[in-house]
Amino acid sequence: MEKKPFLKPRTVSAVKDFVCVLPALVFLAIFTYYPICKLIQISFTDWNLLNDRWSYVGLKNWIWLFNGSGTKHLLNSLKVTILYSIGELTITLVGGLIFALIFNRMNAAFSFMRAVVFVPKYVAMSSAAVVFLWILNTDNGILNYFITSLGLPAVDWLGNRNTALLSVLLLTGWRAVGYGMMIYLSAMIGISKDYYEAAALDGATAVQRFWKITIPMLSPTTLFLFVTTFISSMKVFQSVDILTRGGPYRSTEVFVYKIYLYAMEDFRMDRASVIAIAFFVLLLAITASTFKISNSSVHYDS
Amino acid sequence: MKKMLAVVLTAALGCGLLSGCSGGSTGGGAQQAAQGGSSGGDSAAPAADPSAYEVTEPITIQWWHALEDQYSQTVSEIVEDFNNSQDLITVEATYIGSYSQTNEALVAANAAGTGLPAVTVANTPYVAEYGASGLTEDLTPYIQATGFEIDDFGKGMVDASSYGGKQVALPFLISTQIMYYNKDMADTEGITVPEKWEDMDSFLEAASIVNNGTTERFGTIIPGWDQWYFETFYLNQGVNIINEDNVSTDLGCDAAVGLVKKFREWVDKGYVNWTTMDSDASSNMRQAFIDKKAFSVVHTSSLYNTYVEKCDFEVGMAWLPGGDTKDQEIGGCVLLIPSKNDQATKNAAWQFLSYLCSKEVNMKWARETGYIPTRNSVLQTEEGVEFLKEKPAFQCIFDNLDLINPRIQHPGWNQLATIWKNYMLEMMVEDVDISTKLEDMVEEINEVLEDA
Repeated sequence: MEKKPFLKPRTVSAVKDFVCVLPALVFLAIFTYYPICKLIQISFTDWNLLNDRWSYVGLKNWIWLFNGSGTKHLLNSLKVTILYSIGELTITLVGGLIFALIFNRMNAAFSFMRAVVFVPKYVAMSSAAVVFLWILNTDNGILNYFITSLGLPAVDWLGNRNTALLSVLLLTGWRAVGYGMMIYLSAMIGISKDYYEAAALDGATAVQRFWKITIPMLSPTTLFLFVTTFISSMKVFQSVDILTRGGPYRSTEVFVYKIYLYAMEDFRMDRASVIAIAFFVLLLAITASTFKISNSSVHYDS
Repeated sequence: MKKMLAVVLTAALGCGLLSGCSGGSTGGGAQQAAQGGSSGGDSAAPAADPSAYEVTEPITIQWWHALEDQYSQTVSEIVEDFNNSQDLITVEATYIGSYSQTNEALVAANAAGTGLPAVTVANTPYVAEYGASGLTEDLTPYIQATGFEIDDFGKGMVDASSYGGKQVALPFLISTQIMYYNKDMADTEGITVPEKWEDMDSFLEAASIVNNGTTERFGTIIPGWDQWYFETFYLNQGVNIINEDNVSTDLGCDAAVGLVKKFREWVDKGYVNWTTMDSDASSNMRQAFIDKKAFSVVHTSSLYNTYVEKCDFEVGMAWLPGGDTKDQEIGGCVLLIPSKNDQATKNAAWQFLSYLCSKEVNMKWARETGYIPTRNSVLQTEEGVEFLKEKPAFQCIFDNLDLINPRIQHPGWNQLATIWKNYMLEMMVEDVDISTKLEDMVEEINEVLEDA
């Protein structure tokens, strides 16, 4: 009689699988789930980051955020962050696609030009921001030098509420457009030529081919770029910190910068934590909605 | 398999949640890492026994500072001199960044309980929050045990580095608000720098050049990036920035409204440039003065040497125009020892700290930068006279040393400052109703003060 194994093969396989993913789970538990839990806990306390002690204050911080003086700051940061995200998404998706169409030629000259457009992505944000500080300087910046050469008045790029966010987006665009271009280019190369040949035989114009073939076939890439760019744009911090410090008068005070100000400058870790949680939930909801909507509008070439 | 993974994942999340919520009102967050000595304000000060503060073993300690490249030579010389002056302590100086960045690094290290420096600089407004939270070591027993001459500092400086009656820091590089002006221009054009607020109108009219609505030369530039530069105008008009009840502000009173409207009037006339808060606002302001596009600027006295080196004209310094009073406030930085360090580190830190605050080192800083000599024994002696021969512009500071007061200390001060400077800039630049804006600002500040 054949001896029955101590564990069923399926169980052994499951244990093996679990052991394989255990290191990742431990890592996630320590560096992701634990901080999130801690953040939720802090949101119910009066911790100021400096003290070793705190007291629980119930829903006080949440009331401050949603029904107190924090509401207008929340709404302002929400508005600024969304405006920034729309700007960065537009630059990355639309700008990247346009650049990809322009630079979609496979020869040495175009390879060089693509490299030139793409390289800013690998320039450290801090270094790039310092360079942009010089470029955008009101009195001595090169941008204003050209503007005034044309007889136009100098613009206070970083000091005016109407141009400050645009200035931050200029820096972002300079770094991001090449990345969008490269991702779109690699996706364009993967689109089968058969579609275009068949469409051409049917008498489709170049514009029709672009809208009916290229755009739909690029939709998985667009979804990928949209989600990754959206999440990274919502987390913008460094460029704002170096260029505008959230000013003038809160016009570039994006979410993460606001969290930083509350935690590190005002020593209000309690308030920083409620904003961080609200921000986390918002990001989660928008990302989930995006995936839900994309199920019906993204086309995969399979 | 999926079920099992889901169960394990849920269990892991649950464990995280439970452990995350395990801290209580009696303690959580960073664990106390102190291995000896006092812990800020929580424990009783040790007895003033000198042997308890001696360094007996070789030790290497870290000094965090915010002194930029222009001061690196001085920093190196001072640290090298200290290291060579004894055998046991080796100091490693580390430039952390601006005062704000140093604060971030210190607060993060304190919360983590590791990686703390033995000694660090801190901008004067942080003293209250650090002192209240027990982040800083109470230096009183060290002072008593080693006979450190604390009384040789001006009262304002001692108060600025104390909290709740405890000496939680020592004055290091001290400055104050000052009006730099183009002395050559003043002499040539017969412009008198104002001593009183009432003189500002005539001064600005004389010092500014405005043609067809375009300003060719500002009478003065006021930094909008830090309320420290304009708060003294309020204080000297009798405005309580924080009322005695500690939970409300008087920044909406008639005198305060009058001040804002006056500033706005000067901005509208093109006499005053109220700077923005972006990163290069300070360098832009300096450049405008150097390029003679401004007759004067309000700035910190610590930049005196920088202005003198860059300007091709004689730089004058004037006390800010006063009102009912002509008080000013301390700026610059103090030195402190984080209380979570072990006692051996604290003892070594104290030796280095007392060396940094010694008269000789302080005078080296004063000569090589624009920081003020902090010791009474310098100011009232031949050394002070010698110093003034080298830097005659400092006479206005020496004449008013007793009027340099400590900063306002309140746990909600940083929040108040952020709100105030944002509203001020908006009221100076945008077409807004000043009274309405001030009402909003006061409401916001009061809420912060009540909750601090």
